[in-house]
Amino acid sequence: MRSEWRDGERVRSVEVTPLEPGRFRVVVDGATLELGVERRDDGRLLLSGAGGPHVAEVTSDGARRFVRLDTLEFVLSRESGTRRRGTGAAAGGLDAPMPGVVTRVMVAVGDEVAKGQPLLALEAMKMEHVIRSPRAGRIARLGARAGEMVAGGATLVELEPDASPAS
Amino acid sequence: MFRRVLIANRGEIACRIAATLREMNIAPIMVCSEADRGARHARLGAETLEIGPAEPRASYLNIDALIDAARRARADAVHPGYGFLAENAAFAEAVEAAGLTFIGPAPEQIRAMGDKRAARALAEKARVPVVPGAEGADASALAKAAARIGYPVMVKAALGGGGKGMRVVADEAALREAVESATRLAESAFGDGAVYLEKRLERARHIEVQVLGDGRGKAVHLFERECSLQRRHQKVIEECPSPAVDEALRQRLTFAAVSLAEAVRYRGAGTLEFLLAEDGAFYFLEMNTRLQVEHPVTEFVTGLDLVRLQLEVAANGALPIAQSDVRRQGYAVEARVYAEDAAHGFLPQAGVASRVRWPRAPFVRVDAGIESGDAVPVHYDPILAKVVAYGETRERALVRLGAALDECLVHGVVSNLPFLKALVRARAVAEGTMDTEWIERAFLPDFSALAGAPAPDLALAAVALAEHLGGSGASATANAGAATRVPDAFQALGRWRQPGLE
Repeated sequence: MRSEWRDGERVRSVEVTPLEPGRFRVVVDGATLELGVERRDDGRLLLSGAGGPHVAEVTSDGARRFVRLDTLEFVLSRESGTRRRGTGAAAGGLDAPMPGVVTRVMVAVGDEVAKGQPLLALEAMKMEHVIRSPRAGRIARLGARAGEMVAGGATLVELEPDASPAS
Repeated sequence: MFRRVLIANRGEIACRIAATLREMNIAPIMVCSEADRGARHARLGAETLEIGPAEPRASYLNIDALIDAARRARADAVHPGYGFLAENAAFAEAVEAAGLTFIGPAPEQIRAMGDKRAARALAEKARVPVVPGAEGADASALAKAAARIGYPVMVKAALGGGGKGMRVVADEAALREAVESATRLAESAFGDGAVYLEKRLERARHIEVQVLGDGRGKAVHLFERECSLQRRHQKVIEECPSPAVDEALRQRLTFAAVSLAEAVRYRGAGTLEFLLAEDGAFYFLEMNTRLQVEHPVTEFVTGLDLVRLQLEVAANGALPIAQSDVRRQGYAVEARVYAEDAAHGFLPQAGVASRVRWPRAPFVRVDAGIESGDAVPVHYDPILAKVVAYGETRERALVRLGAALDECLVHGVVSNLPFLKALVRARAVAEGTMDTEWIERAFLPDFSALAGAPAPDLALAAVALAEHLGGSGASATANAGAATRVPDAFQALGRWRQPGLE
């Protein structure tokens, strides 16, 4: 089973192949791991074969996965594949970086915007966060109106597809 | 002593105050907004009253709703916690007008200390040094004063505090613009545009002294706290005692703090904040007329319960302890766990903390506002918990705090735990050489590099394996939005669960 995960600025791919009960081959970005996997009743995974036993704990929250590996914590999110890269919050893009209330919408559908131009403002926890355009382009769709409450990760603005190849 | 005390707050501090109330056989009356139904603090009340919509103005800042709740619950006193209305003189007055006891200072003391210019004047009168500064009616008067004091200077709102509306100014050209913008900001935020100047001290440390006054001119101190580990003037890690304060300096600092508290006949627990300059000189900054977030480090080191002391002063009008009863042993360090994404500009986070685990270890204390499944609403301060460790030495306290932070787990909402874990192990922290801008100047660049590094392959493997094996962990279910009305059967259960409290 192959899957893609957003890890900060990167998208990483993982392929899992069962070998025998409790043993898997896992290929992460081309690097192969062979792991013994024991699933505990509390949902924790005991992983062996990669430099000693490790305990992993994974919690789902929509597309996000909170991962604890021993004492380290990571947040990854599932890439659906249809989603264009570079629109995520990590890329300074057009999704709500946190749940909140849209306080101002500064553009309309069809507007030409410059890179860095403020598009809308989101308020949460006494802080205002301005969503800026990651590139020059034309507004294709607006996902929220002023005064509207939005969930974290909600798409607030869509730009028309970029004519030039993505960097 | 009081029998029923209403806690006009939420989150970790409401839970912490309730713990002492129960210990003293006083019924904790909780209040909650619509967004906090089912929140941990709401579950901990001997009785819990809903006071309005999620918006703080409509609930936790709504004086009428709080007084009405206190009356309905037959409370005999109100504890304001910190934040919200804790330093609002009108609230203290309304509580007293309703015939209840406000657990805190007198309204006029809150008012005097709330105006930072008045507080400076009171300090000068009590011969406590203040940062060289000036007030002025207009920008040109302030510019003249700034030239005398020497740049850089800070422009601050008279009614501000907690670093809000503060601007650093390097020269006269920037001063006029800063005064104008600070005045505008102060007008909109505090309803009064008054601003004042203070000399900016480079590489200063933030040291504060905990005091307790009887309201009649007698006060004691409970030593100092070091709060120099700040990000944008918000404290992150605090400790007691300060590694920068030796016995001679401690004597002078605590003497200054007690002098000022006695001069204003301060009542209850309060904190005097000082800046400690590189040359060892210290200056009074402001006084916080309430319990501080970081009070647990003082409690660990003195063995005294500050909330109990507050209640005893409020109930009896006398200090329950003498200065000679206040002794100090060992070291305590606290880290504030926030729902903030430290890897992405510390953006506040909200949602459901579907899986939460706090550490249990010798010499570790956790004051938490959430458990697994609890909501973190967008409307409030994103503090989730405080993790505090004690040690016979400072080094041991830091090692224990690091281990305790490693044991913390918050899933479902991004927290600042990775930031805290790295910070508590930083060399300057171990050496105790930090100042109030050290985090931003020296630590954040290193941390950003660390936070931007790819996750280890094994973490990716774990996620994919969890997916493959199915049913990956807890689902996101909230306690928030639980039944709005408590069925009668549960009220009976409540009485059974809390014997002795009605």
